[in-house]
Amino acid sequence: MKNTSIIACLTAVVALVACSDVKRTPGSIYMPDMAYSRAYESYSDNSNLAEKGINYNNRPVEGTISREEEMPFHIAKDLPGDSINYVASKLVKNPYDTLSATDKDEAERLYLINCGICHGANLKGNGPLYKDGNGPYPAKPASLVGDAKYEAMPAGQMFYSVTYGKNLMGSYASQLSRKQRWKVIAYVKAKQQEGNKAAPVAATATPATAPAK
Amino acid sequence: MTLSRTIAQKSLTAILILFSVCMSVAANAQDGKALFSANCASCHAVHKKLTGPALTGVEDRWPNKDNLHAWIRNSAAFLKTGDAYANALYNEYNKTAMNAFPNLKNEEIDAILAYIKTVPAPGAATGGAGAAAPVESDNTLLYGILTLVLAVVALILMKVNANLKKLSDEVTGEPVLRPIPFYRNKTYFALIAVLLFLVGGYLTTKGAMGFGRSKNYQPEQPIYYSHKVHAGVNQINCQYCHMGVAQGKQATIPSVNVCMNCHMAINEYKGEPIKNEAGETVDGTAEIKKLYKYAGFEEGKPWDASKATPIEWVRIHNLPDHVYFNHSQHVKAGQVACQTCHGEIQKMGEVKQFADLSMGWCVNCHRETKVQFKDNGFYSIYEKYHEDLKSGKIDSAKGITVEKIGGTECQKCHY
Repeated sequence: MKNTSIIACLTAVVALVACSDVKRTPGSIYMPDMAYSRAYESYSDNSNLAEKGINYNNRPVEGTISREEEMPFHIAKDLPGDSINYVASKLVKNPYDTLSATDKDEAERLYLINCGICHGANLKGNGPLYKDGNGPYPAKPASLVGDAKYEAMPAGQMFYSVTYGKNLMGSYASQLSRKQRWKVIAYVKAKQQEGNKAAPVAATATPATAPAK
Repeated sequence: MTLSRTIAQKSLTAILILFSVCMSVAANAQDGKALFSANCASCHAVHKKLTGPALTGVEDRWPNKDNLHAWIRNSAAFLKTGDAYANALYNEYNKTAMNAFPNLKNEEIDAILAYIKTVPAPGAATGGAGAAAPVESDNTLLYGILTLVLAVVALILMKVNANLKKLSDEVTGEPVLRPIPFYRNKTYFALIAVLLFLVGGYLTTKGAMGFGRSKNYQPEQPIYYSHKVHAGVNQINCQYCHMGVAQGKQATIPSVNVCMNCHMAINEYKGEPIKNEAGETVDGTAEIKKLYKYAGFEEGKPWDASKATPIEWVRIHNLPDHVYFNHSQHVKAGQVACQTCHGEIQKMGEVKQFADLSMGWCVNCHRETKVQFKDNGFYSIYEKYHEDLKSGKIDSAKGITVEKIGGTECQKCHY
């Protein structure tokens, strides 16, 4: 009698201690009617499809262009130590040179999500990742407005850099479609022109530090 | 008199010279910082290899200062002179050409070099990181002991009361009833039965409803990725990584190249210490190295994205197959914030499931949430509602809920 009570007490204590707030396993399921997909869902492992004799390719057929997408960029990435294509990209024209009001809003949204984090909401190259060198990013991002080099850079060359990456900047081809990339570049170019027009005024006013959304 | 005058003059000139030297050095350091930031900082850091080499000790590495000046002004032209050190450097950095700076004067380059010397090495001059967090007091134990003490006191009082009654009964000469032991006392039985029914019923119902739901599920991921650091502290927009959330059914898990957009350069964690769920400190830098393993990236070498292997994150939010859910419908058309369903994700170290994702939870939100009708082309088709809103038939403060546009119809989500 005494032994059993001691054992019971001990198990209770162990059970209590073993209980953690962190739930590392998903809940159990009872009678999972139609809960699990028979079809292959997104991000499920599809590496064994060939064994089952199923022909599956997760890439679009080469040469196809999705609906409403821009024509492919015909300039390839430079080989290391080479800059022929980078220079050649200067001649490519932006098909979206002038943006409508809705396009501009959309381009601004895309800029703030994808570019503003480094290049800053005001395009001065001081986004929340750099913060005058106090952020985690060690290199100073390009100042897209106010730097003669980038003001003079043609849209085609910007598109090359956004598509293939340049120096420490990575490629954004997987995040933005070609159309979106062109529109964001048109937005940057428009901001550069605005900056030049407003330069004498902006010099006296304090620079607005808009918080990143 | 003349002697004292000459002494005074000499000392004055000496002071002036000294002063001007000090001033020029100060000005140099100031200019150097500005010049470095404007011209060099996008490719070079002082103590870290970026696109170009770390610049600390650059003057010692170059055999000759004139060569260094010539290199900075026009590296391509200097390479053609066949300088061995310059060519070795060019090859070491994968033939990445350094920009030419023909407009920099010798003094300006020297100012930059002077500034580079003044930058202290990281970790040399950092104070103690923040005082220890105040110890949170947990009162549960105290309350438990208090309850126990009170229960004992109540028991003693009851016993005393029973004994006193017995004594008084003996004095008055009333017949003393033998007390019934508790294991034969029917009141006890009834009480215990009711208690068991309540507790058991509660637990059974709760357990049964919890089948197939995973609220608070917080699995360990292959890499300790902190949403708090990325989305909270560093203010990276959710859609930077989950770019598909406004475009399709899936929110999309970012591929390794999206991580590498920033982590090609950010190879160490320097922020506030991260604590995991067990309260241990997580080594952020080691977690970044784990990412490099998946990416097949070796520091200092150019990254070949084709060598990357996917990170197998553990899926947390999962709806049964008989429910259709589309992210873009909620985020783009409905303008619902991520936090509504995923909780304060920007404050989570390890992500846990915030909502139970039950049908009641979905339907409740559809009943209460107002649809953004104004300036939203997606709902322009509901002409009658628009008219009623204009004429005041429908209270514009109440607005149109998701339920009113069919948000609680079965076939909206089950088909």
